[in-house]
Amino acid sequence: MARKRGRGMAACWYGIARTATVDRAAAWAEIDDGGSAKIVTGVTEIGEGILTVLAQVAAHEIGVKPEHVVIGDNDTARAPEAAHAGASRQTYMIGNVVALAAREARKRLVDCMAEMWDVAPESIGTGNGEIWADNTNHRITFGEAVASAKNRGVVPIGAATFGTDTTGLDGVDGAGRPWQAYVFGTQVAEVEVDTITGEVQVLAVWAAHDVGRAVNPQGVEGQIEGGVVQAIGQALMEDYQLEDGHTSTSGFAKYILPTSLDVPRVNSIIIEDPDPIGPLGVKGIGEPAMVPTIPAVMNAIYDAVGVRIFDLPATPEKILAALRAKARQDSLAIQAAE
Amino acid sequence: MSEFRLEAVVNGRKIRRTAKPSQRLLDFLRDDLNLTGNKEGCGAGECGTCSVFVDGVLMKSCLLPVAKAQGARIDSIESLAPTGELTVLQKAFHKAGASQCGYCIPGMVMAATAALRANPFADREEIKERLGGNICRCTGYQKIFDAVELARDVQNGRLPATALLETDTTDGEVIGRNVRRIDAPGKVSGRLKYAGDMTMPGMLHVQVLRSPHPHARIVSIDTSAAEAMEGVEAVITSKDVPGQDGFGVFVHDQPVMARDKVRYVGEAVAAVAAEDLATARRALGAIKVVYAPLPAVFDPVEAMRVGAPVVHDYAPDNITKHIPIRVGDVDAGFAASDLVVEEHYSTQAIEHAYLEPEAGLAYVDHDDVVTVVSPSQNITHHRHMLARIVARPVSKVRFIMSPVGGGFGGKEDMIYQGMLALLAMKTMRPVRLVFTREESIVATAKRHPSRTTLRMGVMADGRIRAVSLRMICDGGAYGLSTEGVMRKAAILGAGPYVIPNLRVDTYGIYTNNTPSGAFRSFGALQTQFATESHLDIVAERLGLDPFEIRRINAMRDGASTHTRQTLGSVSLLRALDAAEQASGWEPGAPNVRGLARGDLGHDDVRPPVSLGTRFAPDSKQEAAE
Repeated sequence: MARKRGRGMAACWYGIARTATVDRAAAWAEIDDGGSAKIVTGVTEIGEGILTVLAQVAAHEIGVKPEHVVIGDNDTARAPEAAHAGASRQTYMIGNVVALAAREARKRLVDCMAEMWDVAPESIGTGNGEIWADNTNHRITFGEAVASAKNRGVVPIGAATFGTDTTGLDGVDGAGRPWQAYVFGTQVAEVEVDTITGEVQVLAVWAAHDVGRAVNPQGVEGQIEGGVVQAIGQALMEDYQLEDGHTSTSGFAKYILPTSLDVPRVNSIIIEDPDPIGPLGVKGIGEPAMVPTIPAVMNAIYDAVGVRIFDLPATPEKILAALRAKARQDSLAIQAAE
Repeated sequence: MSEFRLEAVVNGRKIRRTAKPSQRLLDFLRDDLNLTGNKEGCGAGECGTCSVFVDGVLMKSCLLPVAKAQGARIDSIESLAPTGELTVLQKAFHKAGASQCGYCIPGMVMAATAALRANPFADREEIKERLGGNICRCTGYQKIFDAVELARDVQNGRLPATALLETDTTDGEVIGRNVRRIDAPGKVSGRLKYAGDMTMPGMLHVQVLRSPHPHARIVSIDTSAAEAMEGVEAVITSKDVPGQDGFGVFVHDQPVMARDKVRYVGEAVAAVAAEDLATARRALGAIKVVYAPLPAVFDPVEAMRVGAPVVHDYAPDNITKHIPIRVGDVDAGFAASDLVVEEHYSTQAIEHAYLEPEAGLAYVDHDDVVTVVSPSQNITHHRHMLARIVARPVSKVRFIMSPVGGGFGGKEDMIYQGMLALLAMKTMRPVRLVFTREESIVATAKRHPSRTTLRMGVMADGRIRAVSLRMICDGGAYGLSTEGVMRKAAILGAGPYVIPNLRVDTYGIYTNNTPSGAFRSFGALQTQFATESHLDIVAERLGLDPFEIRRINAMRDGASTHTRQTLGSVSLLRALDAAEQASGWEPGAPNVRGLARGDLGHDDVRPPVSLGTRFAPDSKQEAAE
């Protein structure tokens, strides 16, 4: 049998948001004419789906439909600081602060309607584009409610800031509180190793990750799937090569990336262990998704053919060299035993 | 060669235009017809984002001289949804969550359209092969395959068209639901404009002269011949920086353009703004730089030795950052261990390879605000740094974050925005720079290559007594995110395990290699690769199942981390259980038992690839039915 299969696993942990420093973000919210919501915050989409997450968060908090949320963003002169798009911080930092800003805007509208309907603010409910007072026949659309509020001289807006309770690390022993939210994960990889060509195919990955509360499960899966495949690129093929500072891999013809034929089936398992600190319970997934894949694949290669790759990437050449070295060792061991 | 008259049918409309023989079809579509939906990702036919139909055949327009379009019927991504109503396939991409950054998506939609035209009944494996010429860096392709299968089934009537509709949230529950991505329609239709798709009236084109040397003193730069060229509006060097010339995520050690010396191949030395791209490129050749090569260092371990070439004067030992973590008494822990295992691990530099190469525009607005539009992952910090560089108040510097066609950390560095701002200020005209793929690879940060020595002492029952982890990373020529990467690598490197005695040291080192910087998983990937490989080695020696050794050592609720932080809820055991159950893991020590395993080849495993033999023999037959 030239092709041998095996399985390996690995676990991981990761911190959410900026490391060993105080992270912070701000947002503005407005319940707008026609009953839409306008959210303004200083960061935008890098592909992870944050705009959709923010629309869902604002819709959830205010009670409008997600398709009626408009996100104005990405401009240091027009939006409050939300800092950077990285550190697996977007859903945690920006999601939470948008929730807080949206709550404040909702409260302004609810207080106005409570006064108008002469009911307690706590008896007012919102959802699916409507606002109502429990146990009454008061029920109107958000568009009507905004118009009523404006007739009373109120524009329903909110603003919020969200910061982390974190510290730097001690310079001698590293003691400190680098993050306030941690996530954990585990992945299993199944591989097939061709012992004639040295080629490794990753056939499946099972990826179980705690993300806190999942705002958009499909988006979480997308992050896991993308992270796993980027990691497989580093595990098996990608290699930026330099010789005396000059690269020999300056284009995609030489710098090899995973294509549709290289990717495993990724089976995602979302674990929700809510963050107790932020208002939403969300955490993050962008970076942790990538961390266990490489060791899981290397452990699976070992399981399949008994060679361990310590030096990435596990190219066919390295696999074949390791198999040859193992064969020599095995035969020496047999000779010694005889 | 002279210009010629091109006649073709583009997106159903007859066109007669003057074209230049030097243009590629992609340039003609994007620059002359303003059809910017199809993108340039690599310029070499490798990534597929430029894919269009030529007489109905899927072609990579970056490889086609425009003359090949003479008399042809050309259809770009804009042809699919001419009135804004998306095709079934585009709707399926929206529904399935198949677009992330979106930069590959126009080409991917074209390739998928071609796939379903070729075989409306293509199965998942055939779809994969038919999309094999298109690279996506974000999605891992799974949701793209899902989308094409969904479109196939809707087109074939196996699924109703309602399968493409938005998730119903009329019950008021919005969180935890697969609400469709609000940015997807603009991405699947090619309507979303990335920085490289944007133009401004009167815009100049920027090109950058880059260092051919890994380490050299700049003796002189003569820009006079370039400046005298017709069409050249400005040439800038480090002399044109009015303020404090330095940027970086943690330490501001990198000048906008090389100052006094170059430290890596590809470092910016000068930049030109000209009326057109060809003139800007020609002007680079007219800039005369005299270099005096210096001894260079390419290996981080050598760079740490006394007497090695010094990359930055402020760091005579070439150490960018060292992060230590100390818990307990490691030597005593090893002495008390039943088994001590030491191994060496290394990881390579890798490229972010976002499909969107760096691009940006800059202008000085009517209120004298220096404005930069670019796919920056950190507009807040970039604004602060640029204000210092151009010596203007923060309120007079504005960053607008254009849609990011993939970042992964690689667009956190302000690697080109400073040059754009300076050229806009010098010319008082809008300027634009679009990197080539080669420029993007050579000039921008990589993932830190690492070398780790890991020593672990365990008891016979699997409990870890002591760990020492020492990692040396090549940070390359500039600091960028190295400090943060070393910190995260150190904090997380020993894994989510209870370790009573721990010594961690991570070192980021200056060399004359391409700088290393932020990259998704930021140091934790390198160190946890070592730790998680090592745990399996130890598990085999002890005869323990790999899940079991991790459970024995797992941090639990209320655990103290390696930095002595007390955790609340710890979900590690839940994650271990979930992965073990979902995969149907057969317990056993990791002792090369692949051949004997009973848990392989489940339904949730893809078939292995054997190129050319996977198309179902009956697919044509089915299509005929």
